[in-house]
Amino acid sequence: MRYKESILSRLFDVANYTFIVVMMIVMIYPLINVLSISLSTPSAIVAGKVGWLPKGFNLEGYKYLFEDGEIFRAYRNTILYAGVGTFITLALTSLAAYTLAIREFVLRKFATVYWAVTMFIGGGLIPTFLVIKNLGMMNTFWVMVIPGAIGAFTVFVFRTFFQELPVELRESAYMDGANDFVIWYKVTLPLSKALLATFALFTIVGHWNSWFNALLYLKDSDLHPLQMYLRRIVVEENLGSGYTDGEIQALLASNRMNPKNLQMAAVMVAMAPILFIYPFIQRYFVKGVMIGSIKG
Amino acid sequence: MVAVPNRGEAPRKVQSAQQRTGKSIWKRLLQQRVLILMVLPAMLITFIFHYIPLTGIVIAFKKYSVAKGIWGSDWVGLRWFEMFFKNPFSPRILKNTFLLGVYSFLWTFPAPIVLALLFNEIKHSWFKRLAQTISYLPHFISTIIIVGMLKVFASETGLFNEVVSWFGQMPIQFFAEPGWFRTLFIGSSLWQGIGWGTIIYLAALAGVSNELYEAATIDGATRWKKVWHITIPAIMPTVTLLFILSIGGIMGADVQKVLLMYSPLTYETADVLDTYIFREGIEGGQYSYTAAIGLLTSLISFFLLYLTNWISRKVSENSLW
Repeated sequence: MRYKESILSRLFDVANYTFIVVMMIVMIYPLINVLSISLSTPSAIVAGKVGWLPKGFNLEGYKYLFEDGEIFRAYRNTILYAGVGTFITLALTSLAAYTLAIREFVLRKFATVYWAVTMFIGGGLIPTFLVIKNLGMMNTFWVMVIPGAIGAFTVFVFRTFFQELPVELRESAYMDGANDFVIWYKVTLPLSKALLATFALFTIVGHWNSWFNALLYLKDSDLHPLQMYLRRIVVEENLGSGYTDGEIQALLASNRMNPKNLQMAAVMVAMAPILFIYPFIQRYFVKGVMIGSIKG
Repeated sequence: MVAVPNRGEAPRKVQSAQQRTGKSIWKRLLQQRVLILMVLPAMLITFIFHYIPLTGIVIAFKKYSVAKGIWGSDWVGLRWFEMFFKNPFSPRILKNTFLLGVYSFLWTFPAPIVLALLFNEIKHSWFKRLAQTISYLPHFISTIIIVGMLKVFASETGLFNEVVSWFGQMPIQFFAEPGWFRTLFIGSSLWQGIGWGTIIYLAALAGVSNELYEAATIDGATRWKKVWHITIPAIMPTVTLLFILSIGGIMGADVQKVLLMYSPLTYETADVLDTYIFREGIEGGQYSYTAAIGLLTSLISFFLLYLTNWISRKVSENSLW
């Protein structure tokens, strides 16, 4: 049934809907603008006339990026870090959480406190840096996937999820002669696909966007992930590597390309995968946050 | 299988009886060896990368030398702390850290709450879904890209100066002026995080039964009264928890973003404890000195967290522990 709404209430609705529409524009416009700049002609960019739509049409930025080719190596590195890193994180986290979900596990209390402590105190940047340095992990593939593999919060979220699975499943599997490792692999994991998929997404996006560890621990730019490449081009505005400075200068001088063409093209190429799949995976992220926020 | 008695819904009585009669911990450890093997890799990684660095804090009280190692280096007492407090730049760094943290908090903490309340008042569910989906999007954009976009928008002919010119002002060198640093930093954080921040509040609101609102309507409550007496109380526990956690984080504004955004031109407002630690420690090799500053930062953060939690427990009965 409907009640007659007061004028004030209707005014509020108008204001609210207007505000939300403005917010949506503010969220979307910068991203559209990046795309437009990457495709516009240098003269339009210099004049500051690029808005929703590209002014003119120009693919030099993308052409330069793909001919230079370094972005592909950076892409490959990021995909490797994300793939291997996510596998390690999910495997170790779910193994640990499986044991914590078992009420009569001897180390249960100890392990719970063990991880809870790390949520509140840590060594800080310098001691962590020294440990990794002393372990000889500098400039290795593994420094990108091992040190951050286990997070206390994720362990606890997984534990809470596993605790809600029926205990009888484990018991009957146990009666059938399975040990805990087999039960984890054949019973718990298949029942937790939604959880695993959600956290896999989280972890992949984390790896996709990470660069700080690379800055700290990877001197060798052959190992650098995508974001470090972007940092050089977009943030430090240090264009080009494959091309010599002279060639870049010539390209810029010929007025076929503005540095912003290249920078925004690089941003688009780096963002593209996330933007493409975002509409499909967005609800899983939301679900993941919900699972995380109702922790036990 | 032999090792069954201790499994499943093993009655607690049995366990405690076992403990009393001395069925030793070693026997139980042996019984549960598979479980122990399963938890071990994760524990090991946590030990190496969380607990060992924790012991590394001692270098804050030593003169760390690479040759002698952490434990072999000489003790120097509180020398590094004194050095920090005598450093003429320290007041500026402390002030910047504190102001950036407090201003960030004042903007980015309430904003998602307000937005969630506004989302909650939308009646068309398709519109609400669309608005939420769009508001979450910036969360997935990396810090590097955010800063890259900022730099392009803040350039002489970029978006921001376009807006500035509407008001008849001269173009501003946003990234070269200390006065703009905090605005750029916090504004972009707000853009990136506001939508994502609403999720947790919307989750809390999803649990509120519609009957409450209906009953209130029948009793003649206005819309504002319903928000005040039903909606806001529903999210208060969540607000309190997040409040405590964000207070603990005030001393550690997103160092990654500051590192990308600042330059010697803007150190005056942008240089914070964490960036100072990065420059002097990682780049300058002064490990002991910067570990001491890091320890100081952690202590302050933990104190703030503890204090807020204590106050919250007294005032509202909501607390982390």
